[in-house]
Amino acid sequence: MTGFIECRNVGKTYESASGAVEALRGINLDCAPGEFVCLLGLSGCGKSTLLQIIAGLETASDGAVVIGGHELDGPSPLTSVVFQDHGLFPWMTVRKNVAFNMKAAGVKPVERAARTDELLEMTRLTAVADRYPHELSGGMRQRVGIARALTTRPKALLMDEPFGALDAQTRGHLQEELLRIWETQRTTVLFVTHGIDEAVFLADRIVVFSPRPGRISAVVEVDLPRPRDPESPGFMALSRSLRHKLVPDLQGAPLG
Amino acid sequence: MATSALESVAVPGIAAKRRQSVGASRFAPKRLLGLLPLVVVLVAWQIATLAEIYPPVLLPSPERVAMAFVVDYQDILFNAFASVTRVIIGVSIAFCVAVPAGLMIGRYRTLDMLSDWTIQIFRSVPPISLIPMALLFFGIGDKPAIVLIFLAALWPLLINTIFGVRGIERTLITVAKAARASEWLIFRDIILPAAMPAVFTGLRLGIGGGWLTVVTAEMIAVKSGLGYMILNAQLTFRSELIVAGIVIIGAIGLLADQGIRSLRAHVCRWQDGLTAAAE
Ligand SMILES: Nc1ncnc2c1ncn2[C@@H]1O[C@H](COP(=O)(O)OP(=O)(O)O)[C@@H](O)[C@H]1O
Ligand SMILES: [Mg+2]
Repeated sequence: MTGFIECRNVGKTYESASGAVEALRGINLDCAPGEFVCLLGLSGCGKSTLLQIIAGLETASDGAVVIGGHELDGPSPLTSVVFQDHGLFPWMTVRKNVAFNMKAAGVKPVERAARTDELLEMTRLTAVADRYPHELSGGMRQRVGIARALTTRPKALLMDEPFGALDAQTRGHLQEELLRIWETQRTTVLFVTHGIDEAVFLADRIVVFSPRPGRISAVVEVDLPRPRDPESPGFMALSRSLRHKLVPDLQGAPLG
Repeated sequence: MATSALESVAVPGIAAKRRQSVGASRFAPKRLLGLLPLVVVLVAWQIATLAEIYPPVLLPSPERVAMAFVVDYQDILFNAFASVTRVIIGVSIAFCVAVPAGLMIGRYRTLDMLSDWTIQIFRSVPPISLIPMALLFFGIGDKPAIVLIFLAALWPLLINTIFGVRGIERTLITVAKAARASEWLIFRDIILPAAMPAVFTGLRLGIGGGWLTVVTAEMIAVKSGLGYMILNAQLTFRSELIVAGIVIIGAIGLLADQGIRSLRAHVCRWQDGLTAAAE
């Protein structure tokens, strides 16, 4: 079977002064077009490393990544990254931040401006378009990050714990907004999280990681109907079973 | 729906604060506090001359200095203009060399290794100590003065620019890389603006150093400018013109610094409310 994003036996070993760290071993993963996949695991099991490799920002020590039929060699124009700490440029207004990826992609200014307005509208940021990032709340900053990622009409969004730094309520709002955007844009989403409930709420499929070396320990299809209710029995049962799948990691692993 | 709730969380008051800092507070009565020490000095000076602590030939009274500004205003204006022009030329050349070089050195490790020791050695040499060399090479005139100002401004500009580039958050470069930004775009839209506050620090230090240097250089290597005027006034026993020269040197220094500060506030206005401002 082939997917839009394919990882074939991907491995990564970091060489550092204190010795080699095997961050990933034997990762095989296929994401279908339009699929919402969550990478779930505790801290340190290589989720970010895998996402960085798929984003073309790190090179795999082993194996290969294929995106849209092409073997990866540096960042692909078919993907966009949403960063954990939003990665906004503090000297650019919201509007300029949103337009940056298009500028980098060589989109003409007129088209850039139109598309920026469109995305600001979609992410409900029009009112704050001329503010600087530090003048926004954490939730709004991350919406800017998402808007920026979507401008180039990527086939896949790569998100590394994008809502990790937000309070529970804001995170809830953003999860709903992300789903709304995903449903209209039909992009593939690869979403890293260590939150079980977040994964169950969002994903079509949850890929569970375990550490040392980072590897896939389980793959769980989520066939709960959308919109999902975290209070529903099905949701809670799935959360509980995932919690058990993560538990073996807890033993003997440093917490946090 | 959720939006309005989120919007209302948007850090209140920052926009208002910004408006205030541009308008009212900078020129608020509080700012006049800065005049207080100057008034104290003026009063002490007046008292000292009235008490004749020093003979009037050495220490002229404030009135005599004020008179010098009236009587010799053409002389003062001409020489101030000469000094300022030299500094502007020297610092401008230094800016055009140091900023691009600093951006490159800050960005590329190899260039840093290549240049680090050299920069540290040359920046330790006071420009004044190069006056004899400059005279030998360029003779008396504008050239040696401008070269010395260039050197005085070069090192602080270069070092601060490098420092500014080093301080860039790594994620931001990663963001640009992930978006497949060209190296040119990374320089122009990320590295340069991120380094801008530090560049301005370098510019302030550079202009300060250039201004100190020009006055000294003019006492030796040039036949015009405020340094030359002061030295000449000493030879003709015109102490009031010496003091007038000192006052104008200080005033221009203050003006230049204030100018750079407001330019920085404008160019780096994205920093408003981001850095800790004193209460
Ligand atoms: N740049 C790096 N150099 C060395 N080791 C790294 C680097 N990045 C990550 N690691 C190590 O690789 C492992 C996986 O890290 P990471 O991918 O960040 O995990 P996660 O995102 O799941 O928390 C960890 O043991 C971490 O210390
Ligand atoms: Mg991580």
